[in-house]
Amino acid sequence: MTGNLVGFPPEEMLLHGPTKRLLNNFHWHSPEAGIVASYTPTERDVEDHFGVFRGVDQVEAFAQATIVSLGTFLECRKLNCKPEDLKDKYIPAFISIGQVNFCNYLEKGDTFISIGQITFFKFRQMSCDGRIYKVPKGLDLDAYFKDFNEERLAAYDISSDFTLVAELHDITGRAIKTDLFKK
Amino acid sequence: MADLQRQEIIDGLVEILRTVRTIDPAKLENVTEETDFRADLSAPSTELINIAAKAEHKFGVEFEDDDIDELGSTVKDVVDLILKAKARG
Repeated sequence: MTGNLVGFPPEEMLLHGPTKRLLNNFHWHSPEAGIVASYTPTERDVEDHFGVFRGVDQVEAFAQATIVSLGTFLECRKLNCKPEDLKDKYIPAFISIGQVNFCNYLEKGDTFISIGQITFFKFRQMSCDGRIYKVPKGLDLDAYFKDFNEERLAAYDISSDFTLVAELHDITGRAIKTDLFKK
Repeated sequence: MADLQRQEIIDGLVEILRTVRTIDPAKLENVTEETDFRADLSAPSTELINIAAKAEHKFGVEFEDDDIDELGSTVKDVVDLILKAKARG
């Protein structure tokens, strides 16, 4: 893989099935620094939960957008292969979740972004810090993040129209060899 | 560091372990090759990767991803890995 993930289909990056995918689009990506990706909860996502997208699903969505996508991209670039080629070899696993603070909530149809920065990546293990923001209705995220950069990422420099939903720290995952995972 | 002795490596590892905030410094007084990072030092699994990364830097070696997959949880395992990586050049 070369370049970055903007415009890349998430279903080709996340190898689990569609019912567990909480990622719609990549809007900005700097391979060694971080990423911005979005998701809009569906009826199924909020079913039996007061019409609200669960906090644990926010963490999962953030992890899919950051440690899984960022780590898979870097591993594919290193091995000069496609995500599909890693499917039988590795299982992406949560290793730990640090502090998570929830400040707001998300309902069906609320588009949110996961904005994450890499704090550690080595030996197929990645940690990210970041935030989740609810996106202003009708905003074109591709256009908004067209000129985003690493300095703005580090400062979470986005418009005050975005609503902070969660702050996440030390979200850590690792691609574990399938044969070791099943031991 | 051209000809590392096992005790030198253990001493270096203890220096690294003193920088890990999740490890109680009192547990680092009698570290031996048999000391287990998880059972004896209560180090979280995430810390083992961080310790390995710091060991690479401290001892001037480079580990392969597969080395870490197969790494055990004792000080001896890490000492052996450092010497293996050093020999690999």
